[in-house]
Amino acid sequence: MPDEEVLEEGVLNPIKPEVQDPLLRALLADEPAPAAATPVDTPLEQPQAVEPEADEVDCVVIGLGAGGAPLLARLAMAGLKVVALEAGPWHNPEKDFATDERAQDFLFWNDERLSAGHDPLAMGKNNSGMGVGGSTLHYTAYTPRPLPDDLSLRRDFGRGEDWPVSYQELEPYYEELEQFLGISGPTPYPWGPTRRKGYPLAPLPLNSAAQLMVRGAEKVGIRTSPAANAALSGRYYQEGVGWREACTNRGFCQAGCFNGAKASMDVTFIPLAVKHGADIRPNSFVTEIERDARGYITGVVYTQNGEQKRQRCRHLFLCAGSVETPRLLLLNELALTSGQVGKNLMAHPGLQVFGTFAEEVRPNKGIPGGLISQDTHRPQDADFAGGYLLQSIGVMPVTFAGQVARGRKLWGQPLRDYMRNFNHIAGINILGDCLPHADNFLELAEEKDARGLPKPRLHFTAQENEQRMNAHAEKTMRSIWEAAGATDIWAFQRYAHVIGTARMGLSGDDAVVDANGRAFDVPNLYIADNSVFPSALSVNPALTIMALSLRTADKFLEQQQRRDV
Amino acid sequence: MLTPEYPSGTVRALLDSSHVSEATRAALQARLEAPAAYVPQFLAPDAYALLEAVAARLFPQPDRPTQPVPLAPAVDQRLAEGRADGWRYDALPPDREAYRLGLGGIQEIAQALFQANFADLNTTGQDAVLKALATGNPPGATWQTLDAGRFFEELLAELTETYYAHPLAQEEIGYVGMADLPAWTKIGLNQKEDREPSLSS
Repeated sequence: MPDEEVLEEGVLNPIKPEVQDPLLRALLADEPAPAAATPVDTPLEQPQAVEPEADEVDCVVIGLGAGGAPLLARLAMAGLKVVALEAGPWHNPEKDFATDERAQDFLFWNDERLSAGHDPLAMGKNNSGMGVGGSTLHYTAYTPRPLPDDLSLRRDFGRGEDWPVSYQELEPYYEELEQFLGISGPTPYPWGPTRRKGYPLAPLPLNSAAQLMVRGAEKVGIRTSPAANAALSGRYYQEGVGWREACTNRGFCQAGCFNGAKASMDVTFIPLAVKHGADIRPNSFVTEIERDARGYITGVVYTQNGEQKRQRCRHLFLCAGSVETPRLLLLNELALTSGQVGKNLMAHPGLQVFGTFAEEVRPNKGIPGGLISQDTHRPQDADFAGGYLLQSIGVMPVTFAGQVARGRKLWGQPLRDYMRNFNHIAGINILGDCLPHADNFLELAEEKDARGLPKPRLHFTAQENEQRMNAHAEKTMRSIWEAAGATDIWAFQRYAHVIGTARMGLSGDDAVVDANGRAFDVPNLYIADNSVFPSALSVNPALTIMALSLRTADKFLEQQQRRDV
Repeated sequence: MLTPEYPSGTVRALLDSSHVSEATRAALQARLEAPAAYVPQFLAPDAYALLEAVAARLFPQPDRPTQPVPLAPAVDQRLAEGRADGWRYDALPPDREAYRLGLGGIQEIAQALFQANFADLNTTGQDAVLKALATGNPPGATWQTLDAGRFFEELLAELTETYYAHPLAQEEIGYVGMADLPAWTKIGLNQKEDREPSLSS
């Protein structure tokens, strides 16, 4: 944490002489709260006058993506006084979400991150989000559950990490989320354990790329299935929102959904949270996390529309994503005793293989990831730990052209000629597990951003396991595309999602938070986002981020209740 | 496979129809109506002229001799405003510096290979310079410190994304995803809505 001298007047971190709140005092003393405990949602009388913004609330949540929004709703529904600080604005989907890639650039975290290592991670539109809803505003809406053994890599392979949470503990949350969000998917789902409940909606229709993948995969003996997607195949009633309209097959999921069919947080958990009294503060960028002499968090300092403000809180939920979460911890020298903040950075191998078909594909239409296969979850002939899934992909012209430029190095007339085939091009991609490695980590760079804060630098080099997985996957996808009749097949190397930079574990010796998301060394700090993942999982992360978020909220509330009685 | 050709005017016609939502129309119309003349705000006139010449080879537009899709203005505007796209190769200096150095470096390659300025070379010579840059190990003092491969990749990607964001480039490849109303129902192989174009011939 910076010296107090450098803080502006009025936002100094006061070293509190004593804790005023009986609940927190009890927590501090690690003893039961007083019998006549004040309900936690009732603000206590303050011994002295404070500025309005300094009123203490039960919980501050930083970040309103898949990590912050679900627990915000949960905490608000439990009657707690909660404030959510989101760095980006609150959008109006109908007015702001154009079907134009460039016009949607504002959805990404565009402050510069430095990408180092042999496989530098593309950030911005590939990996990040800003705004009320976070990255879910532009996630592709893939919502597969992990398979149970995704959580036990070390047990099964002797490498990577096991999760301190079992699949059985997460299962009720997956089920709850699928029902609440209105996931469209196949029932029964062909892979993994039998489920108590099927998906609430039928799968979305298969677009051309999905149909081609069915054709090719059948020929090479790979099972496929319509995928689970967080976009509505029919109208759906959303608690706290009302009726959400069905997907119009616009195929534009990697940007904002203009009719609310996609289950981004702004049309699901956030309205629910608001209905239950959550105070949402957009355009609020947190810079400081304040503590008392005992190391307990007392509040945060943030900048909203150019004005510096302070919000006091009893508990802090850090849900800023796997770059900004460790960055805030490092900037504030918070929760660093394990030495793991910023370490264990993982990224999903997301290799894409494209081919040109004689048929008309028109790859911009329909849900982009319409088809899935998890037959490659633990391939028989694998020479690597873990595995991957296969998904068909639809593409949009600007993003795709950028990949052609970077990946094929085409320029001049050959680039224009290749792009004229746009309506005949279809892709498949993988999403694969990744092992942590000492060379892969996040640190603060010396270079400063416009706010005067150090830029984050992300080091990533695909190691032997990722390279072998990529080679296996490229061979598999090429064979599918050849069998489907593609020509001019090429592979684009990419990695998606940053994971693991504040991991959970059983002990504060090698993990930042416990299985409930609570920091080992800061008792009133919780983290809920993909930075807590101990391993990367071989599925898209959003659903599991939300599941952990709900679980963290429930564990927190259970603990508060125990303190109350 | 033959290179597909689509009729021109498709996107422009759709922009005048009820198939395009208001937000989408506003974005595309602004790009279409951007004034042809542009005064650079960040790059020096020489450097900007060089960027234009480079862009004309990375995206040759012989089919639009008088009014090519403008590419250099977007780069200069972004640099002037200091906008980023969320990340940068750690191997490269900040964007403004990278462009200044890189454009100077392109001039160095032209001098080393042909003892001439890039702008004075014929298209074959200019392409040879860009090819040397693209291969990642071009001549010139600049490239001892600036990563040529990464600079070329960034330059090409930015120009490419600018080009394909333009309605005329989208007409060229038969993309009409901006016609976002009403719902798409024909999304399978060889299926198309009436508002989607067929090949010219």
